[in-house]
Amino acid sequence: MDSTDDIYYIGQVLEGRINAFEYLVDRHKDKAFNLAFRICGNREEAEEIAQDAFLKAYKSLKDFKMKSSFATWLFRIVYNTSVSLVRTRKKKVLSVEEFPADAVDFLSMNVSDEEAADEYRNSLVNFALQKISEEERGLVTLYYYDELDTGEISGITGISRSNIKVRLFRARQKMAEIIRKAEMKNVLHYE
Amino acid sequence: MNNKEMNDEKLLRRFLSPERIERAPEGFTTKTLTRIRIETRSLTEHYGFIARNRVPLISAGITAGLILAAILIPSGDNGSIGAEVWKYIRDIEFTLPGINLPKWASYTMIGIFIMGFLDRALSGIFQKRTTSKP
Repeated sequence: MDSTDDIYYIGQVLEGRINAFEYLVDRHKDKAFNLAFRICGNREEAEEIAQDAFLKAYKSLKDFKMKSSFATWLFRIVYNTSVSLVRTRKKKVLSVEEFPADAVDFLSMNVSDEEAADEYRNSLVNFALQKISEEERGLVTLYYYDELDTGEISGITGISRSNIKVRLFRARQKMAEIIRKAEMKNVLHYE
Repeated sequence: MNNKEMNDEKLLRRFLSPERIERAPEGFTTKTLTRIRIETRSLTEHYGFIARNRVPLISAGITAGLILAAILIPSGDNGSIGAEVWKYIRDIEFTLPGINLPKWASYTMIGIFIMGFLDRALSGIFQKRTTSKP
């Protein structure tokens, strides 16, 4: 994570130029939103969490010691907020073990085949993510979407590297099984 | 990694890649900054214009004072405009109407001033503490 520019803009914000914070929001908004969305599985909640995280970061920017990068610090806020929110929410038990839809269900007159395929993949991934714990969702997101190594993930989540490896292994197994089953169903469908 | 693990990894990499991240909704940055502006004040806003620019302001004040002094205050009585102005200022007499206040009134006034000063100082300290906490 390149943080040289971040440091410059943090300095600008601390000198009273609030507009400099726009750069930081613009740069990290997608990853922050994606992390929140993958953990809580809801776009509206994810937007609120990401906004709250930026607000918290802005308010405590003067206490930011630069021991880690701004991104690590921000993602830590997003991760903790998202995990706490999911924990406090009444747990919805997804009794369905298999992805209930087929790829053809996503085909419609309004979107191209490619867009429909993307939509299908996205729904399938979200379904698979709901089958693992909220912490594991965070780990999977940081590892696969943000391509962070276990050391960086550890800095964000506070989970030890060895524990991250174990949890990632378990999450990978479970998600792969769900995705594979859904893929198999589509192959059979077309046959 | 055994074969199955490698296949799982490949499969997940196909479905979960950086290109497939869920992007923040349109207008996210503007909304966030508006919220920040509403919910917080700028980190240095509470110092105000004078406090933030005190160094150049003091410097400008001293420079202007020195320039005025050089123009107006004469080195001797040489009949310049400065000398006339200086003479005029020197000759101004202030007269105040005689007010006869009881002795306790002056003590009360001093007391009010001290209390007022303490009130301002304490409110300044507590206000600073409240705003500095995130």
